[in-house]
Amino acid sequence: MPTWQLRLLRGRPGGSPRLEIYRVELPAEAYLIDAVEKIWAEQDRSLLFRHACHHASCGACGVRVNGRERLMCITPLREFSPDRPIQVEPLRHFPWLGDLLVDVSPMMRRMAEVGFAIVRQDELTADRPLPEGIERITRFEDCIECGLCLSACPVMAADEAYLGPATLAAIERMLKEPRGGDTARLLTLADDPHGAWRCHSAMECTAVCPSNVDPASAIGRLRRRLIAERFRRWIGGGR
Amino acid sequence: MSYHVIVIGAGSTGAAVAHDLALRGFRVTVVERGEVASGTSGRNHCLLHSGGRYAMRDPESARECIEENMILRRIMPEALELNDGLFVALDEQDLAWKERFLAACEECGIPAREIPVRQALALEPHLNPNILAAVQVPDGVFEPFRFCLSFLATARRNGATVLTYTEVVDFVFQGRTVAGVRVRDRRTGEERVIGGDIVVNAAGPWSGRIAAMAGVDVPVVPTAGVMISVGRRWNRMVINRLNMPGDGDIIVPQRRTAIIGTTSWRVEDPDFIPIPEDHVRLLLDRAERFIPGYTRGGIRGIFAVARPLVGRRGVAADGRELSRTFECFDHAADGVEGFVTITGGKMTTARAMAEKAVDVVCAKLGLEIPCRTREVPLLSYRAFFD
Amino acid sequence: MKEAPRWKRASGWVDLRGRREGGLAFLLMRLTGIGLVIYLFIHLYVLRLLAQGPEAWDAFIAMAKSPLFLALDGLLILGILYHALNGVRVTLLGLGIGVPHQARLFWGVMALTLLVTAIAAYAIFTIAG
Repeated sequence: MPTWQLRLLRGRPGGSPRLEIYRVELPAEAYLIDAVEKIWAEQDRSLLFRHACHHASCGACGVRVNGRERLMCITPLREFSPDRPIQVEPLRHFPWLGDLLVDVSPMMRRMAEVGFAIVRQDELTADRPLPEGIERITRFEDCIECGLCLSACPVMAADEAYLGPATLAAIERMLKEPRGGDTARLLTLADDPHGAWRCHSAMECTAVCPSNVDPASAIGRLRRRLIAERFRRWIGGGR
Repeated sequence: MSYHVIVIGAGSTGAAVAHDLALRGFRVTVVERGEVASGTSGRNHCLLHSGGRYAMRDPESARECIEENMILRRIMPEALELNDGLFVALDEQDLAWKERFLAACEECGIPAREIPVRQALALEPHLNPNILAAVQVPDGVFEPFRFCLSFLATARRNGATVLTYTEVVDFVFQGRTVAGVRVRDRRTGEERVIGGDIVVNAAGPWSGRIAAMAGVDVPVVPTAGVMISVGRRWNRMVINRLNMPGDGDIIVPQRRTAIIGTTSWRVEDPDFIPIPEDHVRLLLDRAERFIPGYTRGGIRGIFAVARPLVGRRGVAADGRELSRTFECFDHAADGVEGFVTITGGKMTTARAMAEKAVDVVCAKLGLEIPCRTREVPLLSYRAFFD
Repeated sequence: MKEAPRWKRASGWVDLRGRREGGLAFLLMRLTGIGLVIYLFIHLYVLRLLAQGPEAWDAFIAMAKSPLFLALDGLLILGILYHALNGVRVTLLGLGIGVPHQARLFWGVMALTLLVTAIAAYAIFTIAG
């Protein structure tokens, strides 16, 4: 069984963070989350990290792996070589709580502000006859609110008030399928210097998204909608 | 009333217990050594049981499941995919169970109905076309992290304190009565004592370890299971094999994935569970029988976690033979006052487990406060971060 | 969303670790943008010489024909071209057009920038030199 080297960012707020090497034996079929969990279980119980579902549904285990935002639970060890350390650091642009742990509540509060519905009609079944007794089949929205896109976005680095890719993508989803949401309020939220117009198209959100959300495209569609709304207001004579 | 109850564990059971306690007016502190749902609950198969799976072997558990299934649909719609489930017969042997299965479901109050194979295949085009029968039941899917967060968010709104990354290291006694717990804040390393009138142990497969700290024994059997998530959602509904519960006989779809599970073996240490390679092979083999080409979208994740099954004292059985129902232990029976363990069960029955545990807590304190968790809708999981 | 000190956080946009084409394009866009603003001020400063009579201007022109200065002209053309061409790319992407092709568009912008810069450099050195 190969021995993997992990270089984890360790430390607590107030102190200076450092990178420490850990060695852990696991089969190549294992995932990065298994390696980190094993280090916690067998080597260092003070290691802080977030995880829950281990199959990219809860969005808890986002980190930076060799600089790039990933979910540890779907990052297979076989992608790496046992000869070179795998560097694992916490997500950027969130308050740091220590080791690999960050506080995601600022993002969650923004998502709550959008009121993004998380269950939708299963688009695949929309055109199929359902068995008697089933009115509809629902499924969760794609966004798992993991925060990878916020960490990868260079604009988030410079503008604390920026709504961020996940939130803008959520607004765009809600506008497309409002499910009782207040669309006028959502448009106002997005039509702001720190909203849809703040994006500089670095495209990293879409590149790191583990869940097919494609925030970059969503922001583009959102802007087209906002421009159309403005034209409508001009032609409609004010308001 | 200002009784203070400490709940150990922020998985589904601890979260539901905290909610129930807060709703009945207790002061509540939840201590959890990791993230919410970082143990068994998080790595759940995500199945909102209709009870169909246990109807034939474990009717008590099946009845609990269908009742709670219907309650959860009312109180936490945001954490559920309502997509129903199918029990399919893959061969003659499965088919032979059909009548008994339908009768058992009826007996347990599970609305099960046979649908024509053609209709099942129209709805589930990736399903093995050679299935011999299909029975539809009200299974569903939940998002385990949000499931727990919803309970905790509501508990917090009602005054509960939730301390994550806070590990119980010891119990504090006054004579033979538990008077609180000593905890370590894993962020600062600092230890402190939290005093409480009652301590509820909701640590799942770790509840044996917690109970041992208080000097009592809990017959919990950590029984691991492997699950595999793939890169494509092949099925809309939950697909079960129409047979007795066994290994690799259920594929739970969720969002854009499908998860095959499970296996079952007893483990000593639930902290880290190495995944047996032969279990992975077995699961993939079985999945292929339901959905030919199951791994064509790639394997996305492989994970294992321990279930907290309750062993009957003096009974040596483990794994599939053990009931999925739950038990609440008042350790006054073991000579320790002020300490209750709630364990076993399914995530689907977390609310009922909490109701039972809090009834025991009330009885111990001589209180009569009715449980309201059946009716009160939960807040959004996002409210946990307010 | 506070974490590191403001200056440290604000420097995050230059951190290329883990970034791909989109992040690189963004960084180059900012750097060329800053460069062009600086150039604009230098340019205005130099134009001031026109008001000081023909001698001052001719002396500057003589210096402007030095190889080093011509090389800087080449750099200027490189910056202008990249900024302009990537500006078109970003305008499209910002409206959600061509998002799946953003990386290829970036390499296209780079290729076109380098090609035209090379032609321009050749022209500058053969004509002016």
